[in-house]
Amino acid sequence: MKVEQLANAIEARLVVSSGPANPDILRVYGGATMSDLIANAGPGTLLITSLANVQLIRVAELMDVPGICLSDGKEPDADVVALAREAGAALLVSRASRENLCARAAQCLAAEKALPQ
Amino acid sequence: MITLSFRIAGGDFDSAGLAARKLKEQLSKLGVDASVLRRAMIAAYEAEMNVVIHARTGTLWARVDETKLDLEVADEGPGIPDVALALQEGWSTASEQARQMGFGAGLGLPNIRRSSDHFQIETRVGRGTRIRSTILFGTGSPSAAQAPVSAIPLMVDADRCRGCRRCIFACPVGAIRARDRRPVLREHLCIGCTACIEECPDSAFDIPRAPLPVVPADALLLAPRGLLAALFGIRPPEQVLSALRELGFTEVRLLEEWEESLLAEARREAAARELPLPRIPPLCPPITAVIESRFPSLIPNLCVFHSPAEAACEEFPLRPVFLVAACPGQYGECSRSSLTERLTVVSPAALKAAIRPLLDVQPAVRLPLGVAVPHRASPQPGELAASGARSVLRVLSRAETGALGRAALLELRFCAGGCSASPLLGSQPELTDMWQTVAVTAGVTPQVPAGVAARAMPFAQRPGLRLDAAMGEAIRKLSRIDGETRSLPGRDCGSCGAPSCAAFAEDVVMGRAARADCPFTENHR
Repeated sequence: MKVEQLANAIEARLVVSSGPANPDILRVYGGATMSDLIANAGPGTLLITSLANVQLIRVAELMDVPGICLSDGKEPDADVVALAREAGAALLVSRASRENLCARAAQCLAAEKALPQ
Repeated sequence: MITLSFRIAGGDFDSAGLAARKLKEQLSKLGVDASVLRRAMIAAYEAEMNVVIHARTGTLWARVDETKLDLEVADEGPGIPDVALALQEGWSTASEQARQMGFGAGLGLPNIRRSSDHFQIETRVGRGTRIRSTILFGTGSPSAAQAPVSAIPLMVDADRCRGCRRCIFACPVGAIRARDRRPVLREHLCIGCTACIEECPDSAFDIPRAPLPVVPADALLLAPRGLLAALFGIRPPEQVLSALRELGFTEVRLLEEWEESLLAEARREAAARELPLPRIPPLCPPITAVIESRFPSLIPNLCVFHSPAEAACEEFPLRPVFLVAACPGQYGECSRSSLTERLTVVSPAALKAAIRPLLDVQPAVRLPLGVAVPHRASPQPGELAASGARSVLRVLSRAETGALGRAALLELRFCAGGCSASPLLGSQPELTDMWQTVAVTAGVTPQVPAGVAARAMPFAQRPGLRLDAAMGEAIRKLSRIDGETRSLPGRDCGSCGAPSCAAFAEDVVMGRAARADCPFTENHR
């Protein structure tokens, strides 16, 4: 599922669209600490967290993460937005909690998997 | 092998993660496998963040060869009082500022350990921490691109050469050819010893002789003992030691201290009898090189430690260090090492040139630097010491055939008399002994004791002597060389520019020389 589709499905606002590669989102991972996120991030992972800082984008870039969704109404500042754009990672924001977003995103991905190709 | 290094500033959260990112760019260029890259990024990022969160400053090094990636992060910081506790998940001493940014979950070190095939942590409270992580490429995965092995920094000044051809016979590994009456180095064969430098009457061979750069504050001078003897050859010791301080050095350490530590470690290995005997400590870079190229069956006998010069440099990762190299091998090894950023390798001649003007002025106050002189442990039974190219090569070929009997340890040095007798230093070993008595009276105890450093990379056979990457082709070439050698007169006269008929035959087969260069062939040109 493309990150834009998933943003629609979980009612998150798209702040930065994905870079030219725009790979499919295959799984979601929610975490509250950088170590947890980096250890579980990968090329098909949408990260869900309330850590709206540049360090998060760096982690996403290192791990080739295609997209990040900021939870709990956290708004990214200009630095974060610019860095996400540079890193080619999509940036989503939502007022919903991390747990709620994880559950909904996982449901969407499972539903997509169940569909006949 | 290729080494990359990146600085990390402690407390700078804005730049945090940049070292890991730069490393990622470089590793991607090398074609490192994606799964290796992923693990490398976790380890590098976490280690970098540890420096940012806890330390004042640090450096990340990455060494890549065909089989693995070695990451090393050393910092100047508080150190870790209880490593076992720090390795527990969830234990952290991060500041509130760091925690608010999502750090300090107590998962950093566990993450690095999980991502590594080998993980090692060394720490000293109040000084700093060093983390090493090795990630193996595994079989089947596309490995890193072949990194070029740096050439030996032996310079040939063809203008000085008068064509005597002594060097082609002096070279113990036959790495020099005369072309148009000038020496040409076969770099893939050169082991970085000093035989040609010593033999040449025209001083056509040298190591790079760049002038001594400006010495930064708190710089340390690492030198073979013979260097000081060479300097003292001109002036009294106190005068030379004051001049070194005036140049900006705050400490002088002799590499012999690290030689002694390495020998002690090799003695322990020999006594344990768990590894193949005799143990050969890598005291001298040309010895290591000749074993790796000529005596590969003795590679398991090499103690897997860094050379004394490398170990000494590693001891001071964040301090400006100047190393005076005693031979091209040592110069090359230390310039290649990961510490290049803080390490300046200089030739003895450059230091002499820098110190000379200072010796002529009389300072109002003399403040000589103290120098600790290591105590030489007396040799144990079963130890064999040899120096000088001929003796060393004889010992090695006997060791290879098992003819050394129950020898437990070989202390080998390529220069006859050890580093202090290197022709680059231009001193006499007798002067070195005189210097020892002078220095002992200085009575200094260094702050950082000389230790040993385990090698992350095992020793490996050098491709230098391989005739071809493909075994079948190499065998065919070998039989052609054999035939060619037999058709030559066998005089080993050197007229062709090669030291022997066998060496010439190999050059002909490998396309590096023409058959007509031999004056005894029909079509001699």
